[in-house]
This record gives sequence, C-alpha cells and structure tokens, in this order.
Amino acid sequence: MSGRRVLKAVLVDLSGTLHIEDSAVAGAQEALSRLRQAAVAVRFVTNTTKECKRSLLERLRRLNFDLQEEEIFTSLSAARRLVEQKQLRPLLLVEDSALEDFAGIDTSNPNAVVVGLAPEHFNYQTLNEAFRLLLEGAPLVAVHKARYYQRGDGLALGPGPFVTALEFASGCSATVVGKPQETFFTEVLSELDCSPGEAVMIGDDARDDVGGAQRAGMLGVLVRTGKYRAGDESKISPPPYLTCSSFPDAVDRLLENYKHAT
Amino acid sequence: MADASWTSSAKSLKGVILDLCGVLYDSGEDGGTPIPGSVEAVKRLKASDLKLRFCTNETQASRDRFVAKLQRMGFDISVCEVFSPAPAAVAVLQDRGLRPHLLVYDGLLPEFDSVDKTNPNCVVIGDAAEQFSYQNLNDAFRVLIGLEKPVLFSLGKGRYYKETDGLNLDVGPYMKALEYACDVEAEVIGKPSAAFFHSVLHDMGLEPHEVLMIGDDLVNDVGGAQRCGMKGLQVRTGKYRPSDEKHPSVTADGTVDDLAQAVDLMLEERGGASLTSCWGRAGGETGDSLTQ
Repeated sequence: MSGRRVLKAVLVDLSGTLHIEDSAVAGAQEALSRLRQAAVAVRFVTNTTKECKRSLLERLRRLNFDLQEEEIFTSLSAARRLVEQKQLRPLLLVEDSALEDFAGIDTSNPNAVVVGLAPEHFNYQTLNEAFRLLLEGAPLVAVHKARYYQRGDGLALGPGPFVTALEFASGCSATVVGKPQETFFTEVLSELDCSPGEAVMIGDDARDDVGGAQRAGMLGVLVRTGKYRAGDESKISPPPYLTCSSFPDAVDRLLENYKHAT
Repeated sequence: MADASWTSSAKSLKGVILDLCGVLYDSGEDGGTPIPGSVEAVKRLKASDLKLRFCTNETQASRDRFVAKLQRMGFDISVCEVFSPAPAAVAVLQDRGLRPHLLVYDGLLPEFDSVDKTNPNCVVIGDAAEQFSYQNLNDAFRVLIGLEKPVLFSLGKGRYYKETDGLNLDVGPYMKALEYACDVEAEVIGKPSAAFFHSVLHDMGLEPHEVLMIGDDLVNDVGGAQRCGMKGLQVRTGKYRPSDEKHPSVTADGTVDDLAQAVDLMLEERGGASLTSCWGRAGGETGDSLTQ
C-alpha cells in the first residue's frame, strides 16, 4: 500500500454493507466496534429511501449495531432540505414508510415530483401523473438514481430506471440529491471538519458508493456483499482503492494500512 | 413556407406511408374514433395512382384484431397493407434463434404464438400500458441482468401518446428504464428504425425519395422517415404539440391540419401529373409539358 495517510473519518453504507434486509452481514457488529475503538469518526450514509430514519435506526439496533440517529445521513433528508429551500409542493413517489421524513411538507396541488424508492407507486397510473406534471414544467427531484438493489428474493429495480424514464419522456433532467452526488458526501464531512482526503467510504455499490466518494476526493472501498456482482470493481475508473470480501474484512485492512489520527 | 415545398414535390410521388394512431383515428377507452375526414381521405388515396401502406408502432393488439377495429371504424384497410413491430420482431427472433421474455400487452401475445419462449435469452418490450407494473418490469429486468450479454428489443421508442384522458407514457420511457438498469442499449424494432422503414419500401417496390411519410409524431414518424431519405409530413392531430414546429433537430417537410388536408393538397397538386419527375430535381425540365 502506498504512502500512509491520516484517517479521520469512515463513511459506511448500510443496506448491502452492514445488513441485507433483516440479517446482519456476518461479523459486522464487531467490526463496527473495532472501527469505533480506533478513534475515527464513523457516519452512515444511505440511499435506503424506503424507510424513514427512525425505522432504519430501529432495524439496525434490533440487529445489535451500535449507532445513533444523528450519525445517519439519508438521501431522503437531503431531498427534504431541497424541497424546503425551493418551497416546492411535491408529488411524493416514496413509500408510505418514508413519508414520516416529509412530515409537515405541503403536498396539495403539486408543482414538483420527488422520486424515491417506491415500488407500489411505480405503476402506469402514477408515472403518467408524474409525467404530466413534468410536461407542465414541474421540477424533478431524485432521491437517488441507483439502478437496482438487493432484496431478499433477488435483485430489484431501484429509483434510477424510473427517474430515467421520466427524464426521457418529459425531456427534463432530474436533480439528484443522494449518493453518488459529491455534495452529499461533502456535506457529511463538513460537519466532521474533515477533508475528503482524510476520509474513506465503504459500500457495496461500485458506482454510487465507491465512484461517488472517489469523485468527491475520498478513497472508496468496495465490499463483495449485497448487490455486488463479479466484475463490478472494473466498472469504475479509477478503480476502488480496495475491494474486500465484506465489511469486517474492509475494516481490518483499513486499520492495518492506516495511521489513525489521535 | 414549408408547405409549399412539399406540395411542389407531390407530383413526383409514387407512394405514401401513413401512420395510424393520431392520423387516422384518436385512441380511447371505447377503442377510438376516426379523425374527421380521414376515412374519405384514405379512400381517395386508394383511388389514386399512389401506392399506399400503413406503418404503425401499435403494439397493444395483434395486427388482425387491430385492422378489424379500423375496418369497423369505416377504413378501407387490409392486414397485408399494415406494418407493425411485432411481426418484424418475430422475424428477427427467428432469424437469430432467440427466445424472448415478453413484456407486452396481453392483446399482442398471439403474434408471438409461433415463438419458443422457454428459458429466455432476450427481452422484448412493447407498450404494455397498465401492465407496466413494478412486478412486470422487475421480472424483465431479472431476465436481462441474469444474461451474460443482455439483449433487449423495444417495439418502437415513442415517448408518449394521446388518449382521451390526456397524454400517457409510451414504451420509450420504459425501454430507457431497462436500458439504464442493465447498462444496455435496446435494439428498436418499428419506427424510427431504418430497417423497419426499408422493409415497407421494399414491399412497395419504391425508392425512399419516391415516398412520403405522414404522421403525428415528429421524431419517430417524420424524423425517422427523413433519415431514410423519404419526405416527412406532420399532421396537427393526435400527439402533435405546437412546440413541434420549433423542434431543435427535426423539421418536417410540411405541416398540415389533418390527413384530409394533406390528401387534398397532394392530389390537387398532382392533378393529372405524369410520374416522370423525381424528388429534388430542379425545375426547368419539360415535365410540365407532359401533363395532360
């Protein structure tokens, strides 16, 4: 490994990296504890847009992960910030379980479309409704543009394909707020007073976790769990800083290779 | 201005290709209604010396049933004059020995009766309308992502079309969704693919410059025909939007109110014209003296 650098923060993806639905990745809880003992800041960055933060936290705690709500950054909360800043009244294509994160937002007579991961809304009727709003000039906000995700019964389409469909139909471009947007990563790091060169991102999505983080100036570590498929590491350029079998393996190799900030 | 240029070349035309939905009729829950004047316009074209074919990206019903519907509306039209994507797709699948997973409207399934669909090694997507559920899209996605080299065929790539209740998404956006999900580029069968237009021209026995395409879809009908060397005329019916006349990349050779007006202008211009002159040939020939 070339030159030892200071490691001040590790950003960790949740779904597919720490857990897959209601099962923890083997050894991930202990690996997280080892990381915390190493005096680095840990934050959780997720495009898991089906769930509000509170239920995400409950799920992880049931799986015996040690984390706090304020350590979690989701693309849903980033979307809410944007809607508030621009004072939009969105048609929300997000699952009912995620609506809590939009509590208090006016959604009457919509003049914008927000797309999250909402299989029950990704049907012909609702997409037509969204399309007609876009043709009238409503802005399109994408909570993220992931191609697909790992579900208990196999791979499943993420929001990205549906956002792309609406973009093609209406001729507009979505504003994407979650991973792999650089601003999403840098907003998390700025709260930690940490530069991108002092931070590492660990995740199972080559493009959205690793590619996005590396474009923001961080190093990216790809884990071969969750949605990982053979050959993913060669789909991005530059390639991942490291490709590891799982989150525990990634933590061990990072701790070996890095000098920690004290 | 553009109108003058297309009518002046009408004399040298030998054939016309008509789009169906939005040109002959407007679709709707009741099966659709003819656009005023279009039944007579088709009759007059048929009575003229022009060869006539119909070219549609309609993929919600099999060609037989679809043509029967048009006949019930009063159109003089037969199955052998209609080119639609599904039969073209069946030919491609058989030619390449491919077994499709079909994401198409139930009404189109009979077109694929002769095709082996076991253990699929490609996906064919058509305008599935309300059958574009998350579940159905996901099933198609899983077939594609499970293939070493995903192969996706799309029956047309229209963005949207007009129903009586407003504009609805066509197959194009859903094709884009699967392309994005699997990192593949679909092979489009139907308009605006050049191969599709050429198969119609071949059947007519005509060269592209001898044929005029009339449609309501600026990009797929007009633009697609123009890329093949045909002239393309847009009607202000169906999915036409005023912004089409200022489109950044496609300019129709002419824009008319509806099919009836197009046929009026064309037949009037032709009068008893001979068929000796060609598209694009400069004036000054003796062509005029050959008219009766």
